[in-house]
Amino acid sequence: MENSTTIVETHGLTKRFGSGVLAVNSVDMSVRRGEVYGFLGPNGAGKTTTLRMLVGLIRPTSGAATVAGHAPGDPAGLARIGSLIESPGFYPYLSGRENLRVVADLASVKQKRVDEVLDIVELASRAGRNFGTYSTGMKQRLGVAAALLKDPELLILDEPTNGLDPQGMAEMRKLIKDIGQGDRTVLLSSHLLGEVEQICDRVGVISNGRLVKQSTVQDLLGEEGVLVRAQPIDQAQEILSKMFGADAISRNGDAGALHIKTKPSHSAEINRQLVAAGVGVSELRPFERSLEEVFFQLTGEKQGS
Amino acid sequence: MIATIRAEWRKSRFRPAFLVAAGIMSALTILVYGVNWYLALNPGSARTDRAIVNILTLYPDQFVNNVMGAAFPLGAAMAIVVGALFTGSEFGWGTMKTMFTQRPGRLTVWTGRVVVFAAWMLVMTVVLFATGAAMSVIVASFQGHAITWPAAIDLLKGLGAVWLIFFVNGAIGMALGTLLRQGAAALGIGLIYVLAVEIIAVRFIGLINNGAYKWVTDQFVNQNATALTRSFTSPAFATGVPSASTITAEHAVLVLVAYGVGLVIVAAGLLRFRDVT
Repeated sequence: MENSTTIVETHGLTKRFGSGVLAVNSVDMSVRRGEVYGFLGPNGAGKTTTLRMLVGLIRPTSGAATVAGHAPGDPAGLARIGSLIESPGFYPYLSGRENLRVVADLASVKQKRVDEVLDIVELASRAGRNFGTYSTGMKQRLGVAAALLKDPELLILDEPTNGLDPQGMAEMRKLIKDIGQGDRTVLLSSHLLGEVEQICDRVGVISNGRLVKQSTVQDLLGEEGVLVRAQPIDQAQEILSKMFGADAISRNGDAGALHIKTKPSHSAEINRQLVAAGVGVSELRPFERSLEEVFFQLTGEKQGS
Repeated sequence: MIATIRAEWRKSRFRPAFLVAAGIMSALTILVYGVNWYLALNPGSARTDRAIVNILTLYPDQFVNNVMGAAFPLGAAMAIVVGALFTGSEFGWGTMKTMFTQRPGRLTVWTGRVVVFAAWMLVMTVVLFATGAAMSVIVASFQGHAITWPAAIDLLKGLGAVWLIFFVNGAIGMALGTLLRQGAAALGIGLIYVLAVEIIAVRFIGLINNGAYKWVTDQFVNQNATALTRSFTSPAFATGVPSASTITAEHAVLVLVAYGVGLVIVAAGLLRFRDVT
């Protein structure tokens, strides 16, 4: 099922819990090697359940998945995957370093790697403290460190900025960007749109258990364009259609505005032509949909609700 | 497998529950010896309807028999608590998912866990015996009695019996912790079983048809544990009421081994086939 360009491939992946809740509904997902893939969805959309299925913690009700060339949970596949699913799970009575040593033993990784990953997540100076005394940010960092122990081809991070303050979130974003450099694939789930927009190459959007969109961030946001608010609007549309072709012009949701598929650098020329024809221009600006707008459109959620 | 055992040992060697349990075992043994020593030297202070403790039972040659009293039911109850916490806490801490997403498969992780738990039960057993031996030497020294030790084979049999009782009761705790996915409820249910449910069931079944169904209670786990500990009692202890148990030591060992293996397999099945949510 998996080909050389994909590292995660699912077909019809479905999970129905005993209570009858359909948590994940026939998800077809494809993550390419070397990319940072954002798995977006509101809380309760099925992100964590999907990721748990990918690492073998949960068995799918139906469908199939291949992760790093193996079935989910296969020891050979797990050897190539690092993961942080939901909250970091460690022994509170052991130090951060000792917790990583336990994981290193289980993963058959040399103990010297423990100090390397502690340096990567900048936790070395506090690695001697018991995990139970760690702040949320430190716990998340230790979770990422554990996920990096195997120097994995695929890193699965489930909401790694959960519970962090703004500074912690910024640091975690930088860390994930750094980790995602090179050949490593990062599959990052989040409900924070800004986070995904800043970090990811491609995104999959899940809503009510269904994958409703999967594309590059650029495709999702749509082509760049220019928004013009002018009166009379019909005359403005006629002039702009002559300039860029009728297909490039569309009425924005707001009836008094036009969306033109063209580079923002054409703004001055647009303004000159419209004014010369006696059209009053009240607004002229580059138009770019935010991921937030797209997300709410795809998931059917209401903004600000 | 070696790597898994190493990981399990690394995480368990300083685990407070094990250290506290070993410390309590030691303290209980000291307490039992201290009280018995006092009663042996002050027979008038004992209640008249109870046997006076024979000072001979407190000397080194009898210490294996003596520590059996601390091993069951107190040590067994401690083993249930430790077993329940050993597996149940993993769910609460979220460490199950951390362990199951590394290289080894679930059954390998479980096997490593059982091996380390068995090792800890051996540590508890050795602590119990070492404390008992030390206390018996102290008593003998104060009483001016010669220090002679039991035969090595008796010592080994005693160690094996107590380890088996600890392991089987610990396996009850481990299986309950795995079934309930938490430590608190598991240890509560385990303790209620060992300290009340089995005792009530034995008495109730014993009343039916004049004891016609005693063969059923002879298969109960702690009936066999009791029979095994009593099989070590020497004539020096024969001041109380003789045991009415018809369970032989061999039968007890077989039943306890069956319980231990069965519980470990049941828990393995639960871990292997259930989702980790």
